[in-house]
Amino acid sequence: MSIIEVKNLSFTYGIGTPFEKKAVDDVSLCVNEGEVIGLIGHTGSGKSTFVQMLNGLIKPTSGQVLLEGKDIWEKSKEIRKICFKVGMVFQYPEYQLFDETVYKDISFGPRNKGLSEEEIDLTVRKAAKFVGLSDRLLNKSPFDLSGGEKRRAAIAGVIAMDPDVLVLDEPTAGLDPKGREVLLAQIMGYHKERKNTIFFVSHSMEDISRIADRVMVMNKGRLEMLDTPKNIFAQVEKIESMGLRVPQITKIMMTLRERGYDITDGVLTVEQAFSEIINLLEKEGKI
Amino acid sequence: MSFISVEDVKFSYDEDKNYVLNGLNLKIEKGEFVALLGHNGCGKSTAAKLLNAMFLPDEGTVVVDNMITSDEKLTYEIRRNVGLVLQNPDNQLVASVIEEDVAFGPENLGVPPEEIRERVDKALRTVGMYEYRKHAPHKLSGGQKQRVAIAGILAMHPECVVFDEPTAMLDPSGRDEVMNTILRLKENGITVVLITHYMDEAVMADRVVVMDNGNILTVGTPREVFSQVHLLKKHSLDVPQATELIYKLSGAGLKFDEMPLNTEECVNFLEGVLK
Ligand SMILES: Nc1ncnc2c1ncn2[C@@H]1O[C@H](COP(=O)(O)OP(=O)(O)OP(=O)(O)O)[C@@H](O)[C@H]1O
Ligand SMILES: Nc1ncnc2c1ncn2[C@@H]1O[C@H](COP(=O)(O)OP(=O)(O)O)[C@@H](O)[C@H]1O
Ligand SMILES: [Mg+2]
Ligand SMILES: [Mg+2]
Repeated sequence: MSIIEVKNLSFTYGIGTPFEKKAVDDVSLCVNEGEVIGLIGHTGSGKSTFVQMLNGLIKPTSGQVLLEGKDIWEKSKEIRKICFKVGMVFQYPEYQLFDETVYKDISFGPRNKGLSEEEIDLTVRKAAKFVGLSDRLLNKSPFDLSGGEKRRAAIAGVIAMDPDVLVLDEPTAGLDPKGREVLLAQIMGYHKERKNTIFFVSHSMEDISRIADRVMVMNKGRLEMLDTPKNIFAQVEKIESMGLRVPQITKIMMTLRERGYDITDGVLTVEQAFSEIINLLEKEGKI
Repeated sequence: MSFISVEDVKFSYDEDKNYVLNGLNLKIEKGEFVALLGHNGCGKSTAAKLLNAMFLPDEGTVVVDNMITSDEKLTYEIRRNVGLVLQNPDNQLVASVIEEDVAFGPENLGVPPEEIRERVDKALRTVGMYEYRKHAPHKLSGGQKQRVAIAGILAMHPECVVFDEPTAMLDPSGRDEVMNTILRLKENGITVVLITHYMDEAVMADRVVVMDNGNILTVGTPREVFSQVHLLKKHSLDVPQATELIYKLSGAGLKFDEMPLNTEECVNFLEGVLK
């Protein structure tokens, strides 16, 4: 059954002002429980606006978000409760961190769930470890962290809430390569165990192609494509015309294929590319 | 004497002398394009702020264009000389019209109005945003906003621009726009320091500096640095996918002379092998 159903969702900023801007335009889709949805699109295509409607942070101009079949705005007084079911890591972590210390920041979610001090402590430390935030940073002010450390703290805060639907808006921006790699692996591990539903917004086509079951491509507010990573990144021209790119490795393997080498279509990772090339070399006795 | 010279610099944010920079040494020549890499929290942004006298070293010296940053009389001149572009394009634009935004810096410097006009137009042309000069910044894409922010700095006639993860929040074509702009600055003789976590951007630099816990781990041309795949991975870094593939293949016995760093080099190399 679909956990989230989005029906003809639209949002316009500054209605009636000279700055009126339709940021999300008639988007519909169904997301199955446990699915990982990758979301890509040019800057300003409406990704952040879209995901902020999933947890009731902003109210649609028209259309609906159904969570387990119920319109999240049905009881609009209780809309804040949705944040605990649909947990969100914002694109700019500065806007998410607010407490005196990193520790207090991460403990906000579990505290609101009514856990005991001991359980809270355990949860906070587990979440910090999850994102690779060292213990010595927990007592610092979140504002005195480096860019990548802030990002990790913001993610830890949401992981500590353990929401059914996890929305990550460009979670790996500003992380060092190892941090990105480890975070992706952590999220996938957590996902496997917890089987929660994930929305993952990213400009890293490499990351998207590795973790998404399906990819939403947004363009000027509209949902332009919705398909598996393999099918999406096979359409290089269309992707590039929307200001996006396919992963570097996909491009390399496609170019070789176009030049007549016997290579499978839709290679998405370095590992796949490696075995393709090794196969070719072995076939021709070159290795 | 190098254009920028960082000598034995120690810096800490607290009283307890937990040094974030621990005896940093770095020389940058005039007109050079240097990429600065390193794990989260290793001190890149801190180092950037020491280059334009926003921070002063606890020990050691930073000298920019023969001016020592610890001399308060020179602070103003150093900040004009070394511009800083940050990650979030939204926080850097202040005015409601683009050309006013770009004029903001030179106005503060007390540049005469006719000259401001000239500088603004030239800066906007350099970043390819002249056609948009009458537009409002909030309507621009992320890449365009970053280019306007860069124009604002160019209008102050800096000798050097330090970019602190300028593309982290941009889509791929926005990243290309900013990288092309950076290459254009270099052609115009401006010294560029680029802090980034994208290895495919670092390969475009003249020299790559890798930091680790407040110190320099290794320095060299992109090819020298990115050939050390194992070392980079050990220190939380990576190499472009093009390089990674060839590195893996070399582990399986494939030989290469020169490590490929981008799509084109990788394709050409593989064609050579497969032919
Ligand atoms: N204002 C501050 N007060 C106290 N400590 C700080 C402050 N800013 C940074 N730090 C600490 O100094 C160290 C270096 O931070 P810096 O911002 O220079 O790292 P960075 O290399 O730019 O990292 P990133 O890749 O995450 O941006 C980090 O451990 C960070 O926690
Ligand atoms: N708070 C806001 N007020 C007015 N316009 C906004 C606001 N936030 C976003 N927009 C505009 O809405 C559009 C979509 O933005 P956004 O959802 O942030 O896109 P993305 O996350 O894909 O970059 C853009 O044109 C942007 O300028
Ligand atoms: Mg966004
Ligand atoms: Mg930084």
